Amino acid sequence: MKGIKKFIYNQKVAPYVFILPFVLSVLLFWVVPIIQGINLSFYNTLQEEFVGLKNYAKIFTDKIFLKALYHSVRYTIGTLVLLLPLPLLFATMLNSKLTEKTAGFFKSIYFIPALTSVVVAGTIFRLMFGELDTSLANQVLNALGGSSIKWLKMDWPSYFVLLLLACWRWMGVNILYYLAGLQSIPADLYEAASIDGATKFQQFTRISIPLVKPTTVYVMTISIYAGLSMYIESSMLWTGNNSPMNIGLTIVGYLYRQGIEKRNMGYACAVGMILLIIVMVINILQLISNGTIQVGKKKEG
Amino acid sequence: MKKILALILSMAMVLSLLTACGSSSSTTSDSSTATADTSAESDDSSDGFVMDEPEGEYTDLTVWTFIELHQEFYIDMAEKWNEENPDKQVRLTLMNMDYDAMHNKLSIALESGTGAPDVVDIEIGKFPSFINSTTIGLYDLSEAIEPYLDEIVETRLEIYSKDDSVYGYPTHVGTTVAFYNVELLEEAGIDYESIETWDDWKEAGVAYYEATGKQFSCLETTAHWVVNLMLVQKGGSYLDEDGNPNLTSDELTEVLNFLVECQETGAFSPMPGGQPDSDEAYASFNQGDYACQIMPFWQTSRFTNYMTDLSGKIAIATVPRWSTSDTTAWTIGGGGTGTAVVASSENAELAAEVFAYIKLSSEASVDIWNVLGFDPVNTEIWTDTEITENPDNAFVQYFVNSPFDALLEMSDSIGALSDQNSAYWSDITNEISTVTLEEIFENGTSVEDALQSSQDTVMTYVS
Amino acid sequence: MKSEKKSNLIQSILIHIVLIILALLVLLPIYAIFLASFKPGGLLVQYGLNLEIDFSVMSFDNYALLFSGSSDYWIWFRNSLIITAISVVCTLAVSAFVAYGFAAYEFKFKQAAFLIVLLILSVPFEVIMLPLYKQMSNWGLMDSYVAIVLPFVAHASTIFFFRQYLLGMPIELIESGRIDGANEYSIFLRLIVPIMKPAFAAMAILNGMNAWNNYLWPLLVISSNNKYTLTLGLNTLLSPYGNNYSLLLVGSFFSIVPIFILFVCFQKYFIEGMTAGAVKG
Repeated sequence: MKGIKKFIYNQKVAPYVFILPFVLSVLLFWVVPIIQGINLSFYNTLQEEFVGLKNYAKIFTDKIFLKALYHSVRYTIGTLVLLLPLPLLFATMLNSKLTEKTAGFFKSIYFIPALTSVVVAGTIFRLMFGELDTSLANQVLNALGGSSIKWLKMDWPSYFVLLLLACWRWMGVNILYYLAGLQSIPADLYEAASIDGATKFQQFTRISIPLVKPTTVYVMTISIYAGLSMYIESSMLWTGNNSPMNIGLTIVGYLYRQGIEKRNMGYACAVGMILLIIVMVINILQLISNGTIQVGKKKEG
Repeated sequence: MKKILALILSMAMVLSLLTACGSSSSTTSDSSTATADTSAESDDSSDGFVMDEPEGEYTDLTVWTFIELHQEFYIDMAEKWNEENPDKQVRLTLMNMDYDAMHNKLSIALESGTGAPDVVDIEIGKFPSFINSTTIGLYDLSEAIEPYLDEIVETRLEIYSKDDSVYGYPTHVGTTVAFYNVELLEEAGIDYESIETWDDWKEAGVAYYEATGKQFSCLETTAHWVVNLMLVQKGGSYLDEDGNPNLTSDELTEVLNFLVECQETGAFSPMPGGQPDSDEAYASFNQGDYACQIMPFWQTSRFTNYMTDLSGKIAIATVPRWSTSDTTAWTIGGGGTGTAVVASSENAELAAEVFAYIKLSSEASVDIWNVLGFDPVNTEIWTDTEITENPDNAFVQYFVNSPFDALLEMSDSIGALSDQNSAYWSDITNEISTVTLEEIFENGTSVEDALQSSQDTVMTYVS
Repeated sequence: MKSEKKSNLIQSILIHIVLIILALLVLLPIYAIFLASFKPGGLLVQYGLNLEIDFSVMSFDNYALLFSGSSDYWIWFRNSLIITAISVVCTLAVSAFVAYGFAAYEFKFKQAAFLIVLLILSVPFEVIMLPLYKQMSNWGLMDSYVAIVLPFVAHASTIFFFRQYLLGMPIELIESGRIDGANEYSIFLRLIVPIMKPAFAAMAILNGMNAWNNYLWPLLVISSNNKYTLTLGLNTLLSPYGNNYSLLLVGSFFSIVPIFILFVCFQKYFIEGMTAGAVKG
């Protein structure tokens, strides 16, 4: 007993003890399931027969999968385009001396949507963007002189609603991330710049943007992940996994349809593996190109 | 250690404060503050459903459903069962879930072999995915169904069957009928009783449109009740002889072309919500935007619940057909929920027996009509006017004519869309109700092109 | 000097106008559902969600329904609080422990192990959901809160964040601890944990949000009505077979409240923790 205690307390052993819970949970909850998933993806689970790579071969001729892939990618790009620059801009405003007294108030307000669950948020948006003239979105449109739109029945309008929902929920969170990033930039940098005659705009592009890069990398990583695996938002807007012309179908939605609704688990696992590969490759490329992975190495080396 | 403790404690304090907030604001209710007493609480509350404990021995059965109304109905019927069968008493525990959530959960539970209930309501569109695999996780009900076989509409069993085994108990027939807004039609000088054929229907539409400038009836884009009906009336199918999807058949093309012609008259249009059974559609129908809808009989309960302004204005009539001399089915059963028993349940045999009684017996059919407003699959009561025309019945009060008249007129000729148990059915119905009809009626694609493209999509799944 | 003050004032006003517009847009849906919580659910179905105020149809009926205890709402509410509390406490404790291992030591396979953290960050949960479900049921954990919390206790992104945070800690702190004769674990507990407070606050909010709003996994794991969480419960009200919008509306509105209180309490630390944490890179 004492021997064990001594062993664990050893300075060389301690780090392994520290990361043990992580290693265990990774093995049990991630590695094993992933291996099982890979295994299943070689089967036709309905007929209970081994089909080799057939599921994978099918995926790339599957029009609906390609559509779902297109929607997920399109959504991810949309969220990146909107949810990186805008929050940075607002964070800059909130970080300014001019808003010193009011910033706390605005931060709280902007954060509220992130606190609503997707179930609630999706339902609110579905009802606001109903196709009737009396729904909020159409009332606004009519007031502006336009005519009512069947928001959730058309491709681009529904894409707009999805993006709006994403912005509504995540704008505040990203603003806070950026605010934290901005506050870690030493104030004398700005002072020096303004003494040198740099305008506010120049300060923004030359100091703020480069120096919040770590924040940008972080936000980008989680946005890519969240974007490509988006599903519940869409299932709440269309109250289920079926939408007209499949305009709301995403990769995960398709995985659901195949694996759980149609119980074709093997095919669904193949879809899941493809998604896994896409997300991993994009994120790793992104992290390498940003130098994040290397930076880590340098620090430890 | 102290610090961690302190952190945990402060965390706990914040949360218990919040809990206290939550509870104190609910002190108006007597129960919510009693945190320890959950089971008692769900017993009392109106939507946590556990049956009272029967006296003597009993077996516990868990039941999943996605239809709130079914809970009360099942409990009522189970109590009757217990009275009649004191040696085989049961106690039901009901779980009500969201439609998608429940089916998805069931799918995963059966897949993994654990966590499934004893009994479960499976919606017809989801049914094929549970009976088209090598191992079927559901219990064969053929034996339990035997005593009721003579009285029930058999075509309704086919849709829940595979290879001579029945896996689901139907609740209702879902006879497709026509609902006419008599008030609106009279104002336009149209007599709905004279509509016998689809051509009559179209002409009535045109006449109504000319008289009022309003739409006569709707074209579905997110469901295909009318298309199914028309297709079966023509003797058509969504499958070819080998059981593979066939969406380019002459019959289906003709049906859709006819509907396109209807749309071109201006009297028919896609409705908000895409089909009569949707929130938006209830609203627009309730406002009088449309004068006719053709739906399965269970739409009655949507009328009484969501279209209350129309009370005393709606008549239920037989559906039009292609020609009055047609010998194929006049109408079909639409929609439905098959109550299935999970094969791995320890009490599968008992559960099968009990639920055969709960859903198929004539005692059940009285409740099915009175409480749910459905046309019971056990047709014994269809002719019992004391029940079907009971003036206390909410449905009898709501509709202009006797709801069962139209049913009885068509009762010898109720067909079924037998494609519905095919492994490809969910692909087919998904494609039609999300893409094909949308393309044709909203985007103006030609029927032939839309069907060909959908056929290609669906064939991807045929391996 | 005076003109600078003036231009500052104009700038300040402009900035505030922009911020206020954003705030109004953000609050609009919340306001809409707040209004709707006074209207009968049927109206919502009929007309969609809008901002019309019509006192003749507005009442406290929905609130009466919510507080009369005839629904399971408060049971769900309490369950969600419990799950959120358990998972926040467990996740923070375990993740901090692991992150310290990564930040404070050099050891074999550290690079590889940390790369795994990054990779796991990118595994979509849906991919492993089904096998994980099987695993949980093999262990007999179905229908229990343990199954909801356990797989996420060593939470990759939380570990990543804590590690980044700890990279900035003073090494002397550990050294001084060792000189004082403390063992590795008491160094962690006595010296490191206290300086991680802001990081804990930041992660408590993020993990709390996730736990409070988690939907997919509890949906699969929980099968008793009386163990339902708020999100699961609210979703049952949405069923097309017995729409229950009245309760849904007011219930949705109320579900935001506790987590908002938590946020307001920890907001200051949240920013502080974020500033010192992951995003420093």
